[in-house]
Amino acid sequence: MNTFLKTGPHGTAHPETAPPQIGLSQPRPDAAAKIRGTEKFTIDLPGKDDLWAGVKRAGIPHARLISIDTEKARALPGVAAVLTHQDIQGSNRQGVVRQDQPVLVDDRIRHCGDALALVVARDKTALGKALSLITFEAEVLPGIFSIEEALAEGAPVLHPDHETGNILLAGALTQGQGLDAFKACAWEVTISLTVPVQEHVCLETECGRAIFKDNRLFITASTQTPFRDRNETAQALGLSQDRVQVTAPFLGGGFGGKDGITVQTLLGLAALACPGKHVAMVWDREESFIASPKRHRANLSYRLGLLADGSFHALEARADFDTGPYDHLGGVVLALGLEHAGGPYAIPHTHIEGRAVYTNNPVGGAFRGFGVPQVTAAMEQVVDLAAKRVNLSPMEIRLKNCLTRGQKAPAGNTLARSTGIRECLAAVAAHPLWQGAGAWLKKAPAHTLRGCGLACAMHGMGFGPVVPDVAHAKLELTAQGRFRVYCGVSDMGQGNAATFLHIAGDLLCQPIDNIDLILPDTDQTLPCGSSSASRTTFTFAHALTRAAATLKERIVRRAADSLMVDDPEEFTLVPGELRHLTSGRAFPLAVMAGFMNPDERMAVSRYRAPTARDHVTDNKALKMHGVPHAIFSYTVHFARVEIDTLTGGIRVDRYLAATDCGRLINPALVEQQMHGAIAQGLGYALFEDFLTEGGQTLTRDLSTYIIPGALDLPPMELISVATREQDGPFGMKGVGEVGIDAPLACVANAVADACGKRPGTWPLTRVRMLALLKEKP
Amino acid sequence: MADVLFPVSLDQALDLLAKTEAPAVLAGGTDLLVQVRQGKKTPGIFVSLDRIEGAQEILETETEIIIRAGAPLARIMAHPAIRDHGSVLAQALAVLGSPQIRNMGTLGGNIMTASPAGDSLPPLYALDARVQLAGPEGFRRMPVRDFIQGPGKTALAPGEILWQANFTKPAPGTCHWFEKVGQRTALSISMVSLAALFRPDPDGRVSKVSLAWGSVGPTIVESPETETFLLNKPLTREVLAGAGDLARQAVRPISDIRATADFRRQVAGNLLMRLETPAKGKRLTRY
Repeated sequence: MNTFLKTGPHGTAHPETAPPQIGLSQPRPDAAAKIRGTEKFTIDLPGKDDLWAGVKRAGIPHARLISIDTEKARALPGVAAVLTHQDIQGSNRQGVVRQDQPVLVDDRIRHCGDALALVVARDKTALGKALSLITFEAEVLPGIFSIEEALAEGAPVLHPDHETGNILLAGALTQGQGLDAFKACAWEVTISLTVPVQEHVCLETECGRAIFKDNRLFITASTQTPFRDRNETAQALGLSQDRVQVTAPFLGGGFGGKDGITVQTLLGLAALACPGKHVAMVWDREESFIASPKRHRANLSYRLGLLADGSFHALEARADFDTGPYDHLGGVVLALGLEHAGGPYAIPHTHIEGRAVYTNNPVGGAFRGFGVPQVTAAMEQVVDLAAKRVNLSPMEIRLKNCLTRGQKAPAGNTLARSTGIRECLAAVAAHPLWQGAGAWLKKAPAHTLRGCGLACAMHGMGFGPVVPDVAHAKLELTAQGRFRVYCGVSDMGQGNAATFLHIAGDLLCQPIDNIDLILPDTDQTLPCGSSSASRTTFTFAHALTRAAATLKERIVRRAADSLMVDDPEEFTLVPGELRHLTSGRAFPLAVMAGFMNPDERMAVSRYRAPTARDHVTDNKALKMHGVPHAIFSYTVHFARVEIDTLTGGIRVDRYLAATDCGRLINPALVEQQMHGAIAQGLGYALFEDFLTEGGQTLTRDLSTYIIPGALDLPPMELISVATREQDGPFGMKGVGEVGIDAPLACVANAVADACGKRPGTWPLTRVRMLALLKEKP
Repeated sequence: MADVLFPVSLDQALDLLAKTEAPAVLAGGTDLLVQVRQGKKTPGIFVSLDRIEGAQEILETETEIIIRAGAPLARIMAHPAIRDHGSVLAQALAVLGSPQIRNMGTLGGNIMTASPAGDSLPPLYALDARVQLAGPEGFRRMPVRDFIQGPGKTALAPGEILWQANFTKPAPGTCHWFEKVGQRTALSISMVSLAALFRPDPDGRVSKVSLAWGSVGPTIVESPETETFLLNKPLTREVLAGAGDLARQAVRPISDIRATADFRRQVAGNLLMRLETPAKGKRLTRY
């Protein structure tokens, strides 16, 4: 069943007063506020800002801290506190896997964005002045600014306590005969390339508020991970978990950049030092650029071996990631990259190896795609090279080698669940854009080269076999007869909150207007894990579905008991009421709520996502870091590009993506996710190049770090290959990330089609493209 | 933050400049406020051109177009007289910044920033524009190419205000062409730009060629050699390629975070290839 999203059922908007229906597009309730700019992000919420907190950052990439002089800053009028590591009671360490990042540096400065001191002042002017008065003494150490330098013999070691030195995590996945299988290959193709650091550029920069009162710490922050933040903050600052509350309002973008601590511990520390005062912190764009985690730069080196008939036989893939000075989620990014290194193809013999390496560059961390855009960039290019070598079209070689359900993926895990890659390829092959490609290519205007590119990707959902992928839903019938969804997982803008209302509305037969939403709050809502890993809707929707069933049954049974009706089936929920079908009588839900006590009106449910049981590696660390996954979404992208030979400009003329993310709950939201992911992916391919030199950021703001604008993006056509995922709520699978995995590879293949060349360094800016055209083939 | 003064006449504004400490003339502020935020400029007070009578006017005489320094870029590019007689300028302003910046930013501001990447400058050079400066002793005039002295440097004396730019209407039949190469399509800073004015004769040969490049030197670059080379020749691909070689010799680009010197040099010559179209009888004007 293919749904062409553009012409799909959401062409006619569902009336907002009617209950929403699964599978039909529903305008998201937060759309109007987002478009008008009236939505309240964390720092816009009404509140008192007694004090402002700010950070003195190191500005040098590698040094041993000797002393910090805060006296002048302390003496400044309007300054409430100046804090250093000595003021921290707890571990002063944060991190998701390895706790290797100090809240405030106590020993070693490891990147320019490291925080040395925290100032709390009555206004931003005093804050700025005080920060400029802080000086520090440090013994400068030689720095490491590339993967190669980190691995060189005698390189300075960033974390002397780490067993494997500058290698945060290394791993290898070998299947079949591994590298020996190349002996049997008739053909071999290779490619090496480097993909860049990418910055998230959330509309809303990192920000939050905190207060310490009644012996508890209350933090509101722009975060994808409120529950994990609570634990990390408590530990770093030496508080018990129950004494910390974290709330997460709607985010103005996350993309992984708020998957973990940004302002939370600093705000907590500031609030602890100034009890009873509301403390606020906002990073400006420049600070966000320096201090926040980025997509990992990666060096990729691939070799693909084929049999004479063009079937893939052996793959050697090497992927090294620059994780910056701290783990953040670097090990997990590496693991996901390795698992996906072979793409959605059946390759019996593989050797996939990689490392995440510490450097003194900005912190590498979570970013939509999470290692997969990097490896896909290499895999999909080597597939096109192979096609050329064996004289098949890019479509033919992919159809010949793509995975079918029941086969093993290149990492060795069996794909037992919905696997729609072949159908995605077929959908693209049948599309007029693909069919008309030849004619279009022939009509290139003067000074223009035209090319078409194809790329596939698959993306695993969830946390892998070890870390529990769990969500708890809480659903209440309020005394006023309204429903209330307690959602413990952040909505960073992707619309999962709207989807939860959509699901609750459908299951309870209520218009969205009758349903309230409680956004993540570690006191009021239950743990749901992070808003990440393409798992947000999948996991919470399951828990919510169960809670809705429980509550609905309870309401109906209560009505049956109270009204002495034998069969609860005689009742059904309709908007605002419970209807007795036999008599036609209706009872307002407020009346029904009056029959029930508060505990009865509340349903709670837990869900843990299924995990892969395949034993694909003896490496326990890799397993712990998430290898392998059980459920995957798939996508096939097709792009037409034009290269201006006079300026090196690359114009993506048209774009097509066929995606298997299971059945669609709200097609409009799936379309938005795909549009956003493709746009961000094209930014990664053509524009976004976070540059540093000696650990210092060169692209310090949005005038030099270039993200694409509306005029740089092509019209996009989307096809949904809606398999039904048997474990998915309503048959769905995650769609948050899969769309960003393929655009760079797709553009690379289109550019190679146009000019016969493949650049070694990305993104392919105008400067690089023009230089590439001049290169001798 | 410093105060902002709103004089209502040019005399009043000049008087305020003389009497205040470290004044900065505010003409839209789309560059100035960015520099203030970055701490690169710390004015004691702002003197705004916003409410000075006549400071936003665009005037057309029999032979001339006059644009006052406070005229917003969006109004200039939409003005019928500019579209008719200064299309090369309108084309450049259409790709300057964003709609918001074009609504606030002014021609005076763009000239005073004196950036080699200032989008209005190559067209003003190509149009042989002059500027008029107002000072305590009255007005003085000079060609814009003499007024701009280097990156961020102009011939404006302390106490003076840039009052207007004016240019002679090009002869009928003149082709206007502007192209900017930035890092993206819109809201971009030029890596290379070219403004070209030329008049093809009925036989396809060109008389009167005027070329100016942005972002390929400390100020806007002109190349009399390239212009002379093109004179009385048809704009064929071969002729333009030859002109491109001369242009590449004329420019003095540097490498920076946006582009390499090599890219700028190459593209400065390449952009001339676009002028081929009108030689085939098509009119090369975007408006």
